[in-house]
Amino acid sequence: MAKARALDKRRKSVRNIRKITRTMELIATARFKKAMDRATAATAYTARITQLVKDLATTGLEVSHPLLEGREQTKRSVLLVLTANRGLCGGYNSAALRLAIEKRQELLELSESLQLYVSGKRGINGFRFRKIEIAESFTHFDDQPRFDEVELLANRYMNAYVTGQIDRLDVVHTQFISTARQQAVAETLLPLDSLGGDDDGDSDNTARESMYEFLPSAESILQEVVPTSFKVKLFKCFLDAAVSEQISRMVAMKSATENADKMIKDLSMQYNRARQGQITGELLELMGGVEALDG
Amino acid sequence: MANLHCIVVTPEETAIEEEIDFVTLPLDDGEIGIAPQHSPLIGRLGFGEMRLGTGDSAQRYYVDGGFVQVSDDVVSILTNRFLAAADLDAKLIAEQLETARSEPANTVEMMEIRDRAVSQARAQLRMAQRT
Repeated sequence: MAKARALDKRRKSVRNIRKITRTMELIATARFKKAMDRATAATAYTARITQLVKDLATTGLEVSHPLLEGREQTKRSVLLVLTANRGLCGGYNSAALRLAIEKRQELLELSESLQLYVSGKRGINGFRFRKIEIAESFTHFDDQPRFDEVELLANRYMNAYVTGQIDRLDVVHTQFISTARQQAVAETLLPLDSLGGDDDGDSDNTARESMYEFLPSAESILQEVVPTSFKVKLFKCFLDAAVSEQISRMVAMKSATENADKMIKDLSMQYNRARQGQITGELLELMGGVEALDG
Repeated sequence: MANLHCIVVTPEETAIEEEIDFVTLPLDDGEIGIAPQHSPLIGRLGFGEMRLGTGDSAQRYYVDGGFVQVSDDVVSILTNRFLAAADLDAKLIAEQLETARSEPANTVEMMEIRDRAVSQARAQLRMAQRT
């Protein structure tokens, strides 16, 4: 009986694990939907900013702003790494961490000093394990990063850049490409290279006369557009990271559940076989006993 | 008379999307009122009070910088923060004002940053005290 019981015990524990992974999958799915909705809502804002920039471009305005100007020498750079607070989400954290370490090496060669900012417990632990010093860490950005919080951070970086305390800001985060594809990417946010993201090259727009009246002036609006688009970009990084985290967890838990299903099936087969073997053995013993008595 | 279609968008959500009669906005250099059939306009918003007028009543909100775009009787407002006037907490803002004022301002850039924070907090305080 020993073997059959051991198999049954294992099957039970696999069943319990399956229940947990299944629940986690469902939770991740619900959170993913929520995060996705927020990301879509943010797109409405970015789309409008992009439109605004396009309208501004029709005036043929010279674009210049402290945040757009690169430095001749990069002395102090800042690297911000976005990871998750929790594990069990496949390769999400390790991919971001690996890229962050590569990027850090690259930046160390380029600049004199580097400050490392990390969001998410997994990233903090990863760097601590490698004995890499972290300037500041955040754990309060969860699956629904709030704009207020991100804005505080953005303002800090922006002020530091304008006053010359930092010369460059890079962000490592996970980009959400599609539900089937997320990728860890490193982006340079300061100096800003473009406004409002995708410039689709609508050159026909530039020829047309702008129909808008600008209050107080196009220059003044531009002064405001640049910081806003930086903030939105940073916010988008956080949102993307949050969405990707949930979807990675969903996929990881889904495959874990499927794996458990397969294991339960195999174990059941083994258990049944062992049980059958046991019954056959007992029957044979019984028959042998009867025969011995008859003889 | 044609109505205005007012859309308020923050990076987190589309806060308001409704038909109104009249809107007053705090521009960077003073207040502007927009009635239906206003000419196309892009404006830079300051910190202050926005009033949405429907019929006889008006709703008051706080907008925290951003932009306004008006065309074809559609008023789109892009702002970072958008609050109903009643949600402002005067005590908290007073503290913010204090910290903003105590920031050092040794260079021109830092002075600009400080002035901005101070005027932002002041605008919030003004609104909070009025309710």
